[in-house]
Formats: sequence, C-alpha cells, structure tokens
Amino acid sequence: MLSRVANNLIWLDRYMERGSGILNLLKVNFYANQDSPELFPWTPIIKNFTTSDNEYYTEDAIECIDFMVFSYANSNSIINIITKARENARSVQEHISRELWLCINNYYLYLTNKDLPKKLREDDPIQFLEDLRNYHLIYNGTADITQERGASYYFMNVGKFLERVIQISDFTAIKLVEIGKTSDNLEQSFYWKNLLLSIGGYQLYLKTHKSTFNEDHVIRMVFQDKLFPRSVYYCVNKLNRHINQLIESGELEKNNIEFLLGKLESTIKYTTIENINKQGLQNFINDIKTDIRNISLTINAVYFSQNN
Amino acid sequence: MLETLKLMENNNLFSSYDQLPSTWDEMYCTDSKIRTQYEGFIEYLKNTSPEKLTKKEELSKQLFMSQGVTFTVYSDNEGIEKIFPFDIVPRIITAAEWGKIERGIKQRLKALNLFIKDIYNEQFIIKDGIIPGELIYSCPNFLREMKGVKVPYDIYVHISGVDLIRNNDGEFYVLEDNLRTPSGVSYMLENREISKRLFPGILPKSGVRSVSNYPNMLYKKLKELSNNLNPNIVLLTPGIYNSAYYEHTTLARLMGIELVEGSDLVVKNHFVYMKTTNGLKQVDVIYRRVDDDFLDPLEFNAKSVLGVAGIMDVYRKGNVNIVNAPGTGIADDKAIYIYVPDMIQYYLGEEPILKNIQTYQLGRPDELEYVVKNIREMVIKKTDGSGGYGMLMGHEATDEEIKDYIANVKKKPENFIAQPILRLSTAPCYINGQLSPRCIDLRPFALSGRDGIDICPGGLTRVALKKGSLVVNSSQGGGSKDTWVIQ
Repeated sequence: MLSRVANNLIWLDRYMERGSGILNLLKVNFYANQDSPELFPWTPIIKNFTTSDNEYYTEDAIECIDFMVFSYANSNSIINIITKARENARSVQEHISRELWLCINNYYLYLTNKDLPKKLREDDPIQFLEDLRNYHLIYNGTADITQERGASYYFMNVGKFLERVIQISDFTAIKLVEIGKTSDNLEQSFYWKNLLLSIGGYQLYLKTHKSTFNEDHVIRMVFQDKLFPRSVYYCVNKLNRHINQLIESGELEKNNIEFLLGKLESTIKYTTIENINKQGLQNFINDIKTDIRNISLTINAVYFSQNN
Repeated sequence: MLETLKLMENNNLFSSYDQLPSTWDEMYCTDSKIRTQYEGFIEYLKNTSPEKLTKKEELSKQLFMSQGVTFTVYSDNEGIEKIFPFDIVPRIITAAEWGKIERGIKQRLKALNLFIKDIYNEQFIIKDGIIPGELIYSCPNFLREMKGVKVPYDIYVHISGVDLIRNNDGEFYVLEDNLRTPSGVSYMLENREISKRLFPGILPKSGVRSVSNYPNMLYKKLKELSNNLNPNIVLLTPGIYNSAYYEHTTLARLMGIELVEGSDLVVKNHFVYMKTTNGLKQVDVIYRRVDDDFLDPLEFNAKSVLGVAGIMDVYRKGNVNIVNAPGTGIADDKAIYIYVPDMIQYYLGEEPILKNIQTYQLGRPDELEYVVKNIREMVIKKTDGSGGYGMLMGHEATDEEIKDYIANVKKKPENFIAQPILRLSTAPCYINGQLSPRCIDLRPFALSGRDGIDICPGGLTRVALKKGSLVVNSSQGGGSKDTWVIQ
C-alpha cells in the first residue's frame, strides 16, 4: 500500500473518532450545564478542544455548540474535521468500500447544508447533536460490515484507537484538574460521573458498581477494564493487535513500536490502584500520554521516512 | 386520433420548441415529424406528467451530489460542491449513424498515430511536402525530447476523445482531436447510471448499447502494454484540487488500480517506483492525467510538483510506459488540424470518412478572396489565438469592423484562418418544465491498443444550456446528457 494512502486511512479514522468524541462531549456538557453551569461551564470545552490561538469564548450553550460544530475558524470544529475526513476518504476511494465513501460523503453534504444551523437554533439541540453522531455510528457499522480485514482496515483501526486513547486521557486529565480544585465530595462525584458520561461508560459503571461513586472504581474502569470498549487498556490492546496484524502482513517493519506498545499495555494492566494513587493519577496519565505520543511518532516515522 | 389527444394532454411540454433556423434538430425532421430513434422516448415523455419529470430532474441532482460526482470550488476556506449540470433527456443516435462515426474515428486515429510516429522519427510527411516543416517546429506542443524515442508497439495515442458536431447537412464533422489527456469519460459512465434510475425499464426497451465495459476495456489495453504478466499499473493525478479529480478516483476504483500523486513516485536506478508501506514497488504503466508540461520537472516545467523528476529518462529507456505518450499534442494542434484529411490520404490512401470543418488559410490568395466575398458566413481566427480572442464573427460584425479587420488580415494573412459559422445541431432539453432545443456536440471515447481501436458506444454529449448559445464548455454554462446508441 502507498505510504500516503496508509497515512490518509489512519487520519480518516482519527478525524471520525475525534468528531464522535467531541459531539458526545457537547451533548454531555449541555445536560450538565443546564443543571449546574458553575461546575460545567463551556469555556474549558472551547479552550481544550480548539487550537491554542483561539480567542473566541462564550457561555451561551447554543453559541458554543454552533462554534464547535460549524465554525470554519475553529480547526477542530465538526465541519472542519469532517471536511478533512472526507478529503482523506476521497483520495483513498479505491481502498475503502463504496458504502463507506457514500456514508461519509452524505455526512459531509448533510453538515454543509445551509439550513442545518437553523435546526440547531430552532429545534431540540440534543436531537441535533444525536443526528450528527448517528453518522459516526453508521460509519463504524459500515466499516465493520463492508471493509475487508486487510491492510486498509488495520490502518483505519490504528487511527481510531490511537485517537480514542488520546481522547480518553485528555478528558480524564482535564477532569482531574477540576476535581483537584474542590474538596466537596458531592461536587467530586459530579465530576467523576461527568467523565464517565463523556467517554460513554456511565451505564456500564452503574451496572457494575451501582449508583455509588468510588474514585478507585472509576479509575479502574476508565484505565483497566478489559471489556469496556472505551477504556485505555481496551484501546491499547486493540492498537497492539492491529499493529501486529500489519507487522505480520509485512505492511509495517518490526521495530520498537511493538516494544513500546507491549510495554504500555503491561504498565496499564499490572499497575495496581495503590500504585497509581501512590504516584498520583495525574502522573500516571502523563506517562501514558507520553508513551502514546511516542507510538504515534514512531508510526509517522515509519511511513514518512521514505517521503523525504 | 389517440396520438393527437395525448399530445394535447402534454401540450405544454412541446409548446415552446422553437427550432433554430437552418439547424439540424436531433429529434425533429424539418417537417416537425419526430425522427424514428426518438419515437419511443417521446412516447414515454408524453405519458409522464411535468411534475414527475421535474421530480426526476431534482433526483438527478441529488444523485450526483450523494455519489460524490462533484468538483469543489474553494472560496474563503469554504468548499462549495458543484455538479456538472445534467439534462435528463438523452441524446439518441442510430446504429447507422454510430457505425459511420466509429469507422471515421478509427480511420482518423490510425492516421494521427502514424503521423506522430513519423514526426518524431523519419518525418517522411515533411520530406514529401505534405506538411511544411516550419509548422511542426514552431508548434509549442512539439516535444524535441521525444525525437527518436522508441514507443512500445508504436502506440502514442492510447486514449482519445474526438469532438464531433453535426452540421445542418446532417453530417458529423470533427471539431477537434483531443489526443492528450481528454476528460469526461466518467460523466459518460455516471450519466448512464443516473438514466437507469430515472427511467426504469426504458433503456432495455429502447435497445440502448451498454457503456459500462469502458473501465475493463481500458484496463485491458493498459495491461497489454507491459510484457509483465501482472504489471503494476497506476493512475497519476495532479491531486485533490484538480477539477477532474472525481474522474481520476472513479477510473482508478473501477479498474482496481492505485491512484498516485507525483510525490508517491520516485525514480531510482532507471526505474519508477511507488513508495509503499513495505518499501519501494516498481511501476510498469502510468496512465497519467498530468499534462506533458508538468510530467518531469527535469525536462519540462522545472517548477512542477505534480510530476516525477527523471521519469522521461526512464521512459526513453523503455522501463516504464506512459499513457498517452508525451508529445501527442503535436497532432491535435489547431494549425495541424487542417492537414488531417491530407494525412489520411498520405498514410492510409483513403478518403476521410468524417469531414473536417472547412478551414480556409488566408495566406492563400484564392482562399482569402473567397472568404472576403462570403464574409457574412465566416468566422476568422488568428492561428495563435485562443479563447475567442481576436476573432471576427462575420454575421454579427458591423461593416466598419469588417473593413478594419480585413485590412489587418491583409498585413499578414498567413496568421489567419477562416471557417464557416458553425450550426451545431440541437437536441431537446428539459428546461423549466418544457422541452427546448439546445446546441450539442459529441465526444466519443476511443481506446487504442495492441489489438486495435475500440470505441465505447456513446460518449459524452455536451449541451449549451443557454438559449441560442453555441458554447458547450462546462466553464461557460455547458452541461451534459446521457448519449444512447440504439440498435
């Protein structure tokens, strides 16, 4: 496979996963913000999910969603992300299934329809966000049932799980800062609940631990749960598997990327909650983020070394 | 009686069909009788309500958008998706008409290919005094870099899209030979897919010949160019911002070949390679959609980032095949066009089956005299002009303008040519709920390979959607139609 194509496939799924995560975050914060705007303001969302040079802030829910979805000035806006995802898909059409291309093209057309912003302002904003998020669900389902298990599929999954694990660590790191600012147990439990909702794990938490908030339980679920598809461990494990498939099929050189991933996987798996607490959760997350960054750089180096 | 009644029902559909004077209409004979090839479809239209037709028109637009048959126009960081306008009423050609077109194009391409080979090798046609040498050497599309290059199987023009028009005598004439990187074939394919959905059952009932085999045909021709049993064939695109990018992705997808950009390719040890995730992989055949000028920054435009440095050297060594061959532009040049009938005589000893548009060289005193006498029916063009610049349209100009222009021509008459004002044939188009005649042309797509020339039955019919306009170019309000060749 062409290196450029591999790179475009990785970024296609990274953008799609990023879009999905941001949409979910907006929805969760909308609900939380209606309850307690002082605990769940919009400013941190804008600050953390736009580029550093952004100067636009608002505490108006609809204005914020509008900015996060439609603004061309915001490089992480859904419209910008999906435009880039579509351009990636367009240039690799002979490598992805026809259905997948049609799915993403229709999403793009829906999003760029001039009447859509009106829908956000005049109709139910939650429905508006869910309509967008449905395109991501369809995208994932379409990829699953139409894409052959080969290099393209593996590269796409590398992108997807890489982005997901970055997002989970970012969401968690941000929440930890907020939790650190308060000593109120109730407020802290609101933050933990909000984190679980943002990564889509609240329902599973309730099923497992009922409605009691125990910090250790949340940490274990977010980082170490083997079955929860949005835990750090699950994502790293999947990343590892797809990287290995690529190595086996000769699409990826066996270099230290395998080692890096193996090490990260066991660190997450075998570090006890006591150990995490001892070194501090913030440090633990920072180490994971550094490892992920190195893995991502190594993948880039492999695919772009020949291009220079 | 029944016929008349039905016609009354859908009266509105035909009520504004004003045929242009002394123009061939594809649907109506001069006595307003419908030509046989249109009878079936017109019958269908008469039985379909205008509301339904308008709905179909909307559906066609939606289909183009959702299938991604679009090009993006960028302004203020915002991409706007555009579609090439499509008229739902197909253009219909009879088997007999098609047979002549097919024979004519084959003959023409045979001669043109021989001409290109001759020009880059022995140049017999110059030595025998058929074409003046200075005309060749002064042509900007003549590539000195191609002199003496051995081209695989002597095929220079693998893919061509000859533009035809039908004049008011009902005959097809060649407007220009597009022998470089003609585009539009994806619209031929897509228009047909849309027709299938707009008019279920009508295509098989009308006996329309299929065009869907084009990608397979093209792949076969490309494959045969390599001695390798399983050659690596790629399509080289200028990239995502090119207005024909949709076509490049479609052809690559339908042939199952890799779509590459210049930066994906590299020349090493006299071979071309593509940069893949498991190292460099040799490339055998390149179907390039990049112009000669941008192909190799080492030999042509040094600023080009669309091409591959050193690729011409690999080509000359015979280590890669480039389709179409570089330098074919010498044969579709405006000044060379005049000589194509002579070429057909010279190389094949045959009479041209498809006529050229009569072109007068004003450098010849007798032709100049004739043109001046008939100036009201003439268009005069500069040989080095393009885009309509410096043109005189005899039927529109004032006496004063004509006088000045001719005075100018007489200073250097060899720089001017003249052609009779064209009467492009008209075909019915569905516009604002009614059928109206609009001017059309036809671009059939021909593929030349080791086993001869194949032409896809149909092609791209371009339409001048503006009333009375003769300009079919998409940049100036042109659109397209599905083209049916019926048994």
